[in-house]
Amino acid sequence: MRYIRSLAHFIGRLVRIHRIFVAQEIKRMVEYKADFFIGMIGFLMVQCSNLLMLWIIFNSIPTLMGWSLPEVVFIYGFSLIPKGLDHLLYDNLWMVGSTIVSKGEFDKYLTRPINTLAHVLFEKLQVDAIGELVMGIALICSVLPQISVEWSFGKILLGLVSMFFSTYIFTGVKTLTASVSFWRKRSSNIITLGYKFANFTKYPATIYNEFIKNLITYIIPFAFTSYYPSVYILTGDNPLFNVGVTVLVSVLVMGSGVIVWHLGLRAYESAGS
Amino acid sequence: MIEVANLRKEFKKTIKEPGLKGSLKSLFHPQSEQVVAVDNISFHVPKGEILGFIGPNGAGKSTVIKMLTGILTPTSGKCTINGQNPVVNRKNYVKEIGVVFGQRTQLWWDLPLRETYGVLKEIYEVDDKSYRERMAFLNETLDLDSFISRPVRTLSLGQRMRADIAASLLHSPKVLFLDEPTIGLDVVVKDNIRRAIEQINSQEQTTVILTTHDLADIEQLADRIVMIDKGKNVFDGSVRTLKSRYGQMRELNFVTESPHPAETLRYREQFHFAEDDVSVECEGTAVKVRFNSAVVPIADMLSYTLQTVQVSDISVKDADIEEIIRRLYMQGVE
Repeated sequence: MRYIRSLAHFIGRLVRIHRIFVAQEIKRMVEYKADFFIGMIGFLMVQCSNLLMLWIIFNSIPTLMGWSLPEVVFIYGFSLIPKGLDHLLYDNLWMVGSTIVSKGEFDKYLTRPINTLAHVLFEKLQVDAIGELVMGIALICSVLPQISVEWSFGKILLGLVSMFFSTYIFTGVKTLTASVSFWRKRSSNIITLGYKFANFTKYPATIYNEFIKNLITYIIPFAFTSYYPSVYILTGDNPLFNVGVTVLVSVLVMGSGVIVWHLGLRAYESAGS
Repeated sequence: MIEVANLRKEFKKTIKEPGLKGSLKSLFHPQSEQVVAVDNISFHVPKGEILGFIGPNGAGKSTVIKMLTGILTPTSGKCTINGQNPVVNRKNYVKEIGVVFGQRTQLWWDLPLRETYGVLKEIYEVDDKSYRERMAFLNETLDLDSFISRPVRTLSLGQRMRADIAASLLHSPKVLFLDEPTIGLDVVVKDNIRRAIEQINSQEQTTVILTTHDLADIEQLADRIVMIDKGKNVFDGSVRTLKSRYGQMRELNFVTESPHPAETLRYREQFHFAEDDVSVECEGTAVKVRFNSAVVPIADMLSYTLQTVQVSDISVKDADIEEIIRRLYMQGVE
């Protein structure tokens, strides 16, 4: 009982701190409006060019390993949402790998009475990501009339649950790779390496050979950020695996990220001053 | 209050030969050695004391401070404040302390200063009433009102330092760590900062641990000095003890009309001084002689000087702490 109460207190505090940090970030954006809009436009342009690419490919191939164009677009759109949420909320992990640890700026987090990982995660908002989110939602909406899906309340709920947990697959992989910097001082290359595998998730996992497919299912499980949940939504097949394992994988990846992070704190060496 | 017992920190340092070849070699055959940055340091600080923590660059000062502030995990030994141990419960520990690193800031760079205090209030869970009282007190001591609405990036270094000290004190910590709080500041601002530190220490019985290279900070503020060198504790005592133990240096100042006083006054030959027991500086007609009064009594120095040159306005004074520390840093302490 005492344990539950202190856990509730911990979560309540995280929520409060998160709200305050987000408010700070919004105030900061108001100070730098131009920067904000340029970032948004930049990201929308990147997304449009990706989309154009997809259109060119599908104009020559109407179906892809049994997936029709609207279905592929759905998977693509779905993949952008958890990726965009992670990008929006937890982008600061990149800075941990590039400068925060190597320059000793991490000292600040350790002298404050809140969880260091939460502090780092909550501290920045990357609003460029709104481009990804808008594009993801727009793509899904645009193909809804063309895909024959039996919608039910349960299916929508499970879809949203998958999106939530998928976000933490991204965050978890980034946390794991960013933690390497506690031992190696810098880890931006490793974060990039891990994160690049997310590019495979834009398309149905079945188009890849066995090796890549197993890699993004079992090793760096990005296939659960879009493909498997989409399979469930589009076909209604096997929710236990497609959604259940997504949740499980998310908890495992994020959980190990948290553990490795905290092991890393002990190895942190700061920087001379 | 603060108990530091047998604190030790080792770092692993990779050995790399110079040049590209060395870099490639270390890529395939990485070699590393254990470096002891802090070697068995122990001391105790009672409540309300201002402790000057000094030592030459690379002595392990920062490493000790970083272990005391919960940033680095000690290899062995421990430090506790009010019984709290940072290795066991970092969050409870850091609530007891405030930290200012002079070369870094913890303020929200792009926002008006006021916003930083608003966030820190939430981070440290300070209730509204204490927050108002606290801000009034800090404003009075550190005079924040004139710039509290300005974005932090537009503050001068002196204002930023005051703001940072206020930020570290918002949650009324029992212990305040100040790492180079006067670095890069002009004389007047330095003085203001020192006065503020003194005031906070006397009004609230805040224990202060101060590291600095400006020994005037130490002379004006510190009740006690702990000096470390090569990771070891080499001196622990009051400023007065330090002076009486090592402070045999005296400074002889006089004005002379005689030409070339430096050549005429041959202290070294006359008294057989060792290399760093005497030094002579001339600036126009003013001459400054530093000498070790344990080797030659002051009276002998005076009479020799008066016999050799025409002197007006002569005085002898104690060497300041800076001189003592300079000698200690250069020779090491036996």
